[in-house]
Amino acid sequence: MQQFLNTALSGLTLGMVYAAFALALVLIWRSTRIVNFAQAPMAMLTTFVALVVIDAGHSYWLGFVAALVSGLVLGAVLERVVIRPVEGKAEINAVILTLGLFIVLHGLAAVVFGNRYRSFPAPFGLEGLTVGSTTIALNGFGIFTIVSVLVVMGLLVALFRFTDVGLRMRASAFNSEVARLLGVKVGAMLTLGWALASLVGSLAGLLIAGGSLVHPSYMDSVVVFGFVAAVLGGLDSPLGAVVGGLILGLSLSFVSGYVGSQLVALAALVILMLVLTLKPGGLFAQAAERRV
Amino acid sequence: MTRHIRGGGPLVATLAATLALTACGAGGRDSSDGEAAADTPGVTDDTVTIGGTFPLTGVAAPGYSEIPTGAQAYFDYVNEQGGVHGRQIDYIVKDDGYNPTTTSTVTNELVLKDEVFATVGSLGTPTQASVADYLNDEGVPQMMVSSGSLQWGDDVENRPMTFGWQPDYESEGKIIGQWVAENMPDAKVGLFLQDDDLGEDAEKGVRQYVDDQIVAVERYTSGNTDVAPQVSGLQAKKADLVLAFNTPSYTALSQLVALKTGYKPQWFYANIGSDPALVGSLLERFSEGAVDGDSTALDGVMTTEYIPGVDNPEDPWVQLWQKVWDEHGEDGELTNYRIYGMSQAYAFVQALDAAGEDLTREGLVEAVEEGGTDWDGPQLAPFRYSADSHMGISGMRILELEGGKGKPLTDVLVTDIGDAEITTDDSGSADDAPPENGVPTS
Repeated sequence: MQQFLNTALSGLTLGMVYAAFALALVLIWRSTRIVNFAQAPMAMLTTFVALVVIDAGHSYWLGFVAALVSGLVLGAVLERVVIRPVEGKAEINAVILTLGLFIVLHGLAAVVFGNRYRSFPAPFGLEGLTVGSTTIALNGFGIFTIVSVLVVMGLLVALFRFTDVGLRMRASAFNSEVARLLGVKVGAMLTLGWALASLVGSLAGLLIAGGSLVHPSYMDSVVVFGFVAAVLGGLDSPLGAVVGGLILGLSLSFVSGYVGSQLVALAALVILMLVLTLKPGGLFAQAAERRV
Repeated sequence: MTRHIRGGGPLVATLAATLALTACGAGGRDSSDGEAAADTPGVTDDTVTIGGTFPLTGVAAPGYSEIPTGAQAYFDYVNEQGGVHGRQIDYIVKDDGYNPTTTSTVTNELVLKDEVFATVGSLGTPTQASVADYLNDEGVPQMMVSSGSLQWGDDVENRPMTFGWQPDYESEGKIIGQWVAENMPDAKVGLFLQDDDLGEDAEKGVRQYVDDQIVAVERYTSGNTDVAPQVSGLQAKKADLVLAFNTPSYTALSQLVALKTGYKPQWFYANIGSDPALVGSLLERFSEGAVDGDSTALDGVMTTEYIPGVDNPEDPWVQLWQKVWDEHGEDGELTNYRIYGMSQAYAFVQALDAAGEDLTREGLVEAVEEGGTDWDGPQLAPFRYSADSHMGISGMRILELEGGKGKPLTDVLVTDIGDAEITTDDSGSADDAPPENGVPTS
């Protein structure tokens, strides 16, 4: 029973991290209609920024804020400098560019921050909470992870559904020509979309790093799982991303605990195949399918 | 995270070997007269060129990438003293990123382009397995592979040019298993294993002694950093002694998860995963809870040792390594990984020395098979090299870690694979000291 509970709880926390990452992918998809494969190394880079700040003797929270701000800036700069030249061309150009960025950022981080494993602090105790006489596999940082992902999801839903800016971002993404005619500053919206997505990605990076080890490729497995989570949810829906992340986190944790850890990656792909076969637009697809 | 199909390596290697053989022709080597040295690839009157492949980048790089820096420093030291039989050692290190396909490519380069005499200390089980057949077909000695898999020494007939160096995982498993059976007969044993040769060989050894004590076996896949399900599994079966055969990062990860789930068994990490300095540096930040800063993080944990390490600055071998590192090392401190590289380099210099002035590949292999068991060196137990076995160091002692230092719990115990008995080592290997000038001579 305790094993079941602990496996479920660690799956829950992990699922929330996948969800955070999937949220970033959804955000960029909604605001620019491309999938950003460089999301993981971008988050890795900002996590290292936090580590530098913390290493310099500042508090965890200053590092936390520094990572989020640098995420915001990094996203905006990359969009302006790297992605902008291929905007308006075939989407595949931008997607390939993000793959290139993936490799460049990786190499850059290895040169600047080194290639070894480093520990990353957590703001709360790492010991599990005690309920009665048993310790459950949920610690303060796990709760912080769950709460912050839910809050971000709420904010994103609110942004796209209730605010003017959200509407303009979606308009620019769906049809930039018409949006421009209607007076939307499409360029600014695209930059904003990248910046916000990069910010959410940074959060995911911080959440998975907290109380664990980081190195330049520590986010790589999250890319795959986060992408699967986002696709499960239909790539378009923040709620879908979170539900997709949870489904994936829980199933993978149970597969690893009860079947065998060598099957984790396979299980993720089986889940993806099942969902795409049964419901091609993802679990939470609202719009009709789009061909890219 | 990249995954590789292991079958692909040997295939590529065989193909490459075939091509290479066709290209060069096979004949032309005659080792019967004194001019042999001139014909041997990589050997001139005043140099011998050797190579090695290591993960200098990628996930396996932390720690392991330091091994060739240690070996290089020691070769530089030997060269400064005049080399071996008047030959300077030229050591070419290539990066394979722990990717067997890359290992094939760079090993090809070493053999065909750089024309190395032998490969020395190349690292990794899947990586070296992908080139073992190629090197043997080409007649290139694959010396002192940095891995504890059995395959470097248990099949001399098929791999006459391959030699192991460190104790194999099965022998380590046996020694640990027997100690547990004798000293903790009531313990409920859980196994935490890396899901490859490492875990498999070790489990075979452990089960010889504590089969009936084992209550849980959990395997993790290298690359998947979430080990919470595995640790929960051990906890659920109420294992109160965990024998762990894993790499250092997984020592840190398993400690973190145990903290999270409130699991407090007695931990016993095999040598490969227990470097206190590395694990301590990984855990140093998590000091609020029970995991303390620096290298005291592993206090009370048991492990094994087969060469003296940095925690033993009084040891004459460690003093030699410190001197070598101060004079010839790169930036950074002397670490256990660098000592590993130097200890291995020391053994290779012994082999070169024993092979004599007319250096040939066959001569090297013969010299190691004939004399290897008698070499003094940093290893606590003697090598097992003979015409029938190319297995490396034969044993180790069991330690308890305290404040980053190991406190010996046993004498040096030696054994071999299969059902060989475990005995206390009486060769005195643990007590020898390096020669005055730090370079072995016969």
